[in-house]
Amino acid sequence: MTTTDTQLTHDPATAESPAVSLRALTKVFGKETVVDDLDLDIASGEFFSLLGPSGCGKTTTLRMIAGFTDPTSGTVMVGGEDVTSTPPQKRDVNTVFQSYALFEHLDVRRNVGFGLRRKGIDRRTIDQRVGEALELVQLADRADDRPAQLSGGQRQRVALARALINRPQVLLLDEPLAALDLKLRRAMQLELKSIQREVGITFLFVTHDQDEALSMSDRIAIMNGGVIEQCGTPEHIYENPTSVFAAGFIGTSNLMPGTYGDGVVQVCPELRVPLLAGHGLTGGEQVSVAIRPEKIWLSELTPAMVQVPGTVVASTYHGATTQYLVDVAPDVTLTVLEQNLPRMSTGDRWTPGSRVQIGWLPEHTVLLR
Amino acid sequence: MSRRLERRPAFAVTVTVVFFAWLYLPIVAVVLFSFNSVKSLATFQGFSTRWYVDFFHDSSLITSLTASLGIAAVAAAGSLILGTMLALGLERIRSRSGRAIGAVTLLPLVTPEIVTGVAALLFFTGLGMKLSLVTVTLAEITFSIAYVTVIVRGRLASMSPEVEEAARDLGCTPWQAVRQVILPTLVPALLGSGLLVFALVFDDFVLAFFTTGVDPQPLPVRIYSSIRFGVSPAINAVGTLMLAFSALLIVLALLVPRLFHRKTSTLDLIAGGERP
Repeated sequence: MTTTDTQLTHDPATAESPAVSLRALTKVFGKETVVDDLDLDIASGEFFSLLGPSGCGKTTTLRMIAGFTDPTSGTVMVGGEDVTSTPPQKRDVNTVFQSYALFEHLDVRRNVGFGLRRKGIDRRTIDQRVGEALELVQLADRADDRPAQLSGGQRQRVALARALINRPQVLLLDEPLAALDLKLRRAMQLELKSIQREVGITFLFVTHDQDEALSMSDRIAIMNGGVIEQCGTPEHIYENPTSVFAAGFIGTSNLMPGTYGDGVVQVCPELRVPLLAGHGLTGGEQVSVAIRPEKIWLSELTPAMVQVPGTVVASTYHGATTQYLVDVAPDVTLTVLEQNLPRMSTGDRWTPGSRVQIGWLPEHTVLLR
Repeated sequence: MSRRLERRPAFAVTVTVVFFAWLYLPIVAVVLFSFNSVKSLATFQGFSTRWYVDFFHDSSLITSLTASLGIAAVAAAGSLILGTMLALGLERIRSRSGRAIGAVTLLPLVTPEIVTGVAALLFFTGLGMKLSLVTVTLAEITFSIAYVTVIVRGRLASMSPEVEEAARDLGCTPWQAVRQVILPTLVPALLGSGLLVFALVFDDFVLAFFTTGVDPQPLPVRIYSSIRFGVSPAINAVGTLMLAFSALLIVLALLVPRLFHRKTSTLDLIAGGERP
């Protein structure tokens, strides 16, 4: 397992017991191990994302925390309390479901107040808190509507209010934005983040969308095949991926497998990538190097850079950026992303066939083993 | 939906008219002659309600009517309870055996009713039960469970399993989740299937004929036996009343989902109504 690159938070709240602690959590369905010996601590007040492709075990992990799925082995702790065998209705967590799962026979007000009514809280308090919750998600004017009368985005907000109103230790969100269109999703990302700051509740957010995870989270855990590949802040994971999977799943990377020897990784006879000291590799070791497309320069190279000659084979204009594919060796094509700066005109862009010199700073070479 | 052909093809119109005439003329005749002032089934002499008055003064017919209403009500209630439980249970068994059981529950819908009738008769007499309204009701419940199960399962299938989990998440025990969330969500389907079963059982002849005792008989059986001794126009009156009542029930069953702000129901689909 390549876990626990744990950059524990900037938050002083880590002194108290974590909002969620998973220890050796394992789930086996039939012959398939969906979640494999998972350890994870989520600090109180954190916006934490479980990011991974479908089938990586992220939703199963969430369901084990909520209590809908029983773990095969391991423990789930919420707020320092072992809840592994506690039924869902007695856990201090609430869930925002992917399908929203609103109660169609109740109006918005009763949907939102459902949890508080089950707790036997008096009516006046319920009315007041439902009012507040609907203010929070900007739906105060739709309180008397049935879910069927609402749009997708509005249903999503009702689901959020219905879970948040219970002020749980942890709010679990299972791909809550997946069903929304792109524009609405962007707006809801910002809104979710600001709501989380406002209420201060720990959010555990499950998603397969790397943009979503990067833009909203305090920390991200990248899951693959039932294990956590890497865990850390968005910047840390983006800048220092520790596995081939993490480097490929977050953003795009120019990934090059090669052999180490004499301070360089030899990708092919034509391409030798020098490493900075302190990598601890021994000669002959098989490794990969990765370079982010936006870290590669096509002009204004400096002597400090690793420099490679190449040929532009394709150029794609993306508005703010231009993406080039550059052949640097017979079997190695690098993706290069260049900002379209104000002083540049159309004539400044490289055309396919141009011979170019590309370069990047040695500290931007990411070593993956 | 409202795309029209520019010219109506004469052939299609003719076929449609003949079809509806074939289907409904006999029924129209029954309704018409129930208002005939003389005891003729051939010529209409004038408007009168005397056969309706006759019917309401015929105590044995009234007893049979009451019996049929009772059977239909009890069968609707019984099949609703059992059919809903079956549907909820089948939703939870997602294995191969669950699917097999699900298919078996549909058998009564395709089994010829006469087979069900004979089987029920042999079963009751084999057990030494005396044939009566009780045996009719039991047979009708058995027969009707499938309708309820089909309709309720249709509604359950369109509900996300997350709805039940949401109820658990918000503090419900498993039973409370069914009681407070699942059943209320099913109300339109329950009302619809209850009305459908009531209408089907109320005028069911075959099963009732095989499983009923001598006295009192369910209305359809009673009518059949009276026809054998000559047709009284009072029978037309009874038929008209039953027709009106059944039609009312079906219309109600179709309207129920609309009362709950829902555009379509399973029944709409059976009836070929609006599609989502």
